[in-house]
Amino acid sequence: MTQITKRNPNKFLKDEFDELVKNHLEWNIRVLQSGSKPHSMIDGKEAIMLCSNNYLNLSNHPRLVKGAIEAAKKYGAGSGSVRAIAGTLQIHKEVEKRLAKFKRTESSLIYQTGFAANSGLIPQLVGEGDIVISDELNHGSIIDGVRLTKADRAIFKHRDVGDLERVLTDADKKYRRILIISDGVFSMDGDIAPMDKIVKLANEFGAMTYVDDAHGEGVIGEDGRGIGAHFHIEGKIDVEMGTFSKAFGVVGGLIAGSQDLVNFAYNKSRTWLLSGSHPPAVSGAQLAAIDVLETEPEHVKRLWENTRYFKKELSSMGFNTGNSETPITPVIVGDSGKAKELSNMLFDEGVFALPIVFPMVAKDKARIRTMMNAGLTKKDMDFALSKFETLGKKLSII
Amino acid sequence: MTARIGFLVNPIAGMGGRVGLKGTDDVFDKAVELGAQPVAPKKAEEMLREFLTLSVKQSDLLWVTCDGDMGKKECEQAGITNIQVVYNPGGKITSAEDTKNACKILLKQNLDLLVFCGGDGTARDIFSIVGNNIPILGIPAGVKMHSGVFGVTTTTTAKILQEFIVKRLTIGDAEIMDLDEALYRKGEWKVRLYGVARGIVEPTYIQVGKASYESITDDEVKDELAEHVKDELEKYSDWLFLFCAGSTIEYIAKKLNIEHTLLGIDAVYQKKLVGKDVNEQQILTLLKQYPKTKLLLSPIGAQGFILGRGNLQLSPAVIRKIGVENIIVVATSSKLLHTPLLRVDTGDKNLDCLFAKQGYLMVVIGYRLSRVVKLQTNSY
Repeated sequence: MTQITKRNPNKFLKDEFDELVKNHLEWNIRVLQSGSKPHSMIDGKEAIMLCSNNYLNLSNHPRLVKGAIEAAKKYGAGSGSVRAIAGTLQIHKEVEKRLAKFKRTESSLIYQTGFAANSGLIPQLVGEGDIVISDELNHGSIIDGVRLTKADRAIFKHRDVGDLERVLTDADKKYRRILIISDGVFSMDGDIAPMDKIVKLANEFGAMTYVDDAHGEGVIGEDGRGIGAHFHIEGKIDVEMGTFSKAFGVVGGLIAGSQDLVNFAYNKSRTWLLSGSHPPAVSGAQLAAIDVLETEPEHVKRLWENTRYFKKELSSMGFNTGNSETPITPVIVGDSGKAKELSNMLFDEGVFALPIVFPMVAKDKARIRTMMNAGLTKKDMDFALSKFETLGKKLSII
Repeated sequence: MTARIGFLVNPIAGMGGRVGLKGTDDVFDKAVELGAQPVAPKKAEEMLREFLTLSVKQSDLLWVTCDGDMGKKECEQAGITNIQVVYNPGGKITSAEDTKNACKILLKQNLDLLVFCGGDGTARDIFSIVGNNIPILGIPAGVKMHSGVFGVTTTTTAKILQEFIVKRLTIGDAEIMDLDEALYRKGEWKVRLYGVARGIVEPTYIQVGKASYESITDDEVKDELAEHVKDELEKYSDWLFLFCAGSTIEYIAKKLNIEHTLLGIDAVYQKKLVGKDVNEQQILTLLKQYPKTKLLLSPIGAQGFILGRGNLQLSPAVIRKIGVENIIVVATSSKLLHTPLLRVDTGDKNLDCLFAKQGYLMVVIGYRLSRVVKLQTNSY
């Protein structure tokens, strides 16, 4: 007997995917046959990697690999529980202690991911009668975290302290708590939030400050200590949020700040309370990453040497590399179609760098976003640069 | 598929301006007498030339136009060949009737877009015939250009047209504004909102992935604004709300099941209509009855006016009584893209000063989401 169903509950899955495909908006996932390395095997083709966040090449560092293996041997493959019940291992606590020391803050807390940190903590920091004030170009995970709050929201112009002050002046009269959130390093342009000025202004208004330093951690500040160290305001940003998944070469979100913040955060963040804790191998690698940063300053140094060389050479070829202050170097092409074309051609020539097109950036500012890696040699960079030059000329960009 | 673009020039538009007239609609002979030269044909041709330099496959387009100065001539001089002439005005073109008659024919041509060259008067004449049936885009050439259908310059108009054709821009609301003729004849120069046409707008984008964005329609943004206003109505349950004119407020009212006058002001108390299309006197009476009142406004037209254009009932006396702090301004991001600056011209210097002192206004752009926007007073 054929059953007549009221509705097809799964039809939308295919319909919506087909619609994405039709509009060329679906993700075509590239697969790496190697690890994430300066030279990676991508979809069966060797290419120079210019679009990973593995800035310091720590994901391949022998000490991190060893740290992971030893932790797995000692503690096993999984943690058995959420942190709050029976999943906090000694090694988790060790990472937090070492991280706070590295960040020069009173305390720290590890989250499962950076996204879990933002979407778990932000909704707890503000509620009804409060306001969150965000830089207009903040990352999506912050936006989602803010959406989960009952607080009102306002945005200020990108890196514009004057505009922030206007919003604060208006908010001061109307709200109980004020939370200012900004990315530390903005991932599209590689520019840095003026956190020193933001903190100063926040103090005047009694506002809390929260920075997402995902792209600054391990990259800026003394020995890669992040944005607090970059502006010499360690411990003055109320919440320094970051990640182990980029320059640290592992995975996991983090916050650093006061003990009060950490006590509050682990008791209130639903993402932290309701997800399993990191496998020991992850924590072992995190611990080793901090070790490496503290004892081997050459990685950060090399990242910046590479960055300066790469930027200088691109500029001298005539490319517009924007206002980046970090190892994220945009190669501004202009037209979106051209940026996509250049990215494809680069990949064919053995250079992997993604195009960033409208509406992520302004219509006439489509670009190839390159992210430097400390593991690239001068020869590697010269190879990539020569491809940029040849193709840039071919496409009349330079 | 071939896009069918209507093309209509009001050849006399803009002639009054240079000789000090506030339009050319009824004073063409006088304008000529004062030595006025045609403006619109040149502007139309300029826009077309700019358009031809942009990357659009011209063979995918068909220009449906009118004979002579009303379109064909400008197209030909700019170098456009794929033209279809559907209307011949016959004789000298001097009146709004020519525009309207052409529109009656163009309306039947299955157009994707109607591009016209003129000013507010032309926009109004076109809108009176085509209504919401065809989206319209104006090449600015008139004396008055308050309507939201115009590009800022011929260059930007060409760019908008190109982006519409390659489907990067979408269709949304655009207000048609013009002088209030009755008041103008009494010597007052006040701009009224005449209706809401379909125009071309920038979609709003939201980030959905690390490096991917999804565009959302203007209506989705307005849904958020409606949610916001709903919350406000509940939060201030013992306040009177004045819903002002314009398409954004109209949409919000509809979402809240409040019957709203698109072109006028309605008074709402506890989600019920207590005054429909009220005039200044009626508002003042309501304000006596409801001393706590909030004014719900949205910029209308092309120049970002929130007060002083299109909502004449909001006299200085009304605004003073309500209080500047009780004005809620809502706007879609796409509207703010066109008008990054809000303007106030209440006609009362001291009141304008109150706004000027603030310098900025918080504008609601989404559900419980706002941003500051620069405010300019008395500038027009």
